[in-house]
Amino acid sequence: MEELRKYVACILQRVDGLLAIVITDRDGVPLVKVALDSAPEMALRPSYLSTFSAMATDQAGKLGVGKNNKIISIYSNYQVIQINKNPLTINLIASKTANTGQLVNLENDLSVVVNDLAQAVVET
Amino acid sequence: MGCCCSTDKDSNQNGETNERTHLLGNPVSNNTPIQRTPYDGLRYPGSVPKPTDEQSALNKILQQTATNVIDVAALDSHNLEQHEYVERARQYIQKAQAAQPVLQSKYSKLILSKNSVLKDVPAIDNLLIDSPICVMDYHMMIKNSAKISKALNDIHIEHKEDLVVPFAIP
Repeated sequence: MEELRKYVACILQRVDGLLAIVITDRDGVPLVKVALDSAPEMALRPSYLSTFSAMATDQAGKLGVGKNNKIISIYSNYQVIQINKNPLTINLIASKTANTGQLVNLENDLSVVVNDLAQAVVET
Repeated sequence: MGCCCSTDKDSNQNGETNERTHLLGNPVSNNTPIQRTPYDGLRYPGSVPKPTDEQSALNKILQQTATNVIDVAALDSHNLEQHEYVERARQYIQKAQAAQPVLQSKYSKLILSKNSVLKDVPAIDNLLIDSPICVMDYHMMIKNSAKISKALNDIHIEHKEDLVVPFAIP
């Protein structure tokens, strides 16, 4: 578990402006949370994180343009990218100046982690 | 008596729509082998629909509709209690710890491969006693990399026409 966290921490350092990576379940309960001190505390709360996976992505999937995979929210100071990896969710919290494309691309590296976590949590 | 209308493609199933066409879509009719008549009081022997079937069919329609509706009001209806949250986080950690032996080696390798440009090489003596590359290869590499870096330095933008062009607006 410690190694896994370190790996996620490595990924965190790779993109300039990325402040936190949180892998949660549908209710916003974190399985892995790696955050810099400068990460906004409000965006790390389960009540905020759960809005995506519990409801928003499901509801957005009903708009008639297919299943919803990611939601990118850009605020005045921060940006939050939430990626649906059913049954888990990847949450990336970054400053508004971070390169959004680079952040979205981290999905490739993080999906290994998410798959392993999902397996560990579901099977045992 | 109420009437349920369905726009499912009955024509795909039966060719055309008639009074014997199922009112309900395919998933329901697959579950009910008895062919039904519409609710006009006209019933054939052996075709009386069971009330439970109707009920389950209606429930299915209701459920389907509920899943298709975008329900914004329900967005904030579900929140975990603090103790549930803590308990669940603890369970996740336990379960992940159980899978640790498998994950540990995998991720320590991944960290090495992803993170560092410089890394420890085990058995360095093997690498050092290897025969060096031949001088010609070395010169070729030096020459080519010099050419590449020269070419890179020579890249420049040629300004040919205006990037912003006024359209013919009257």
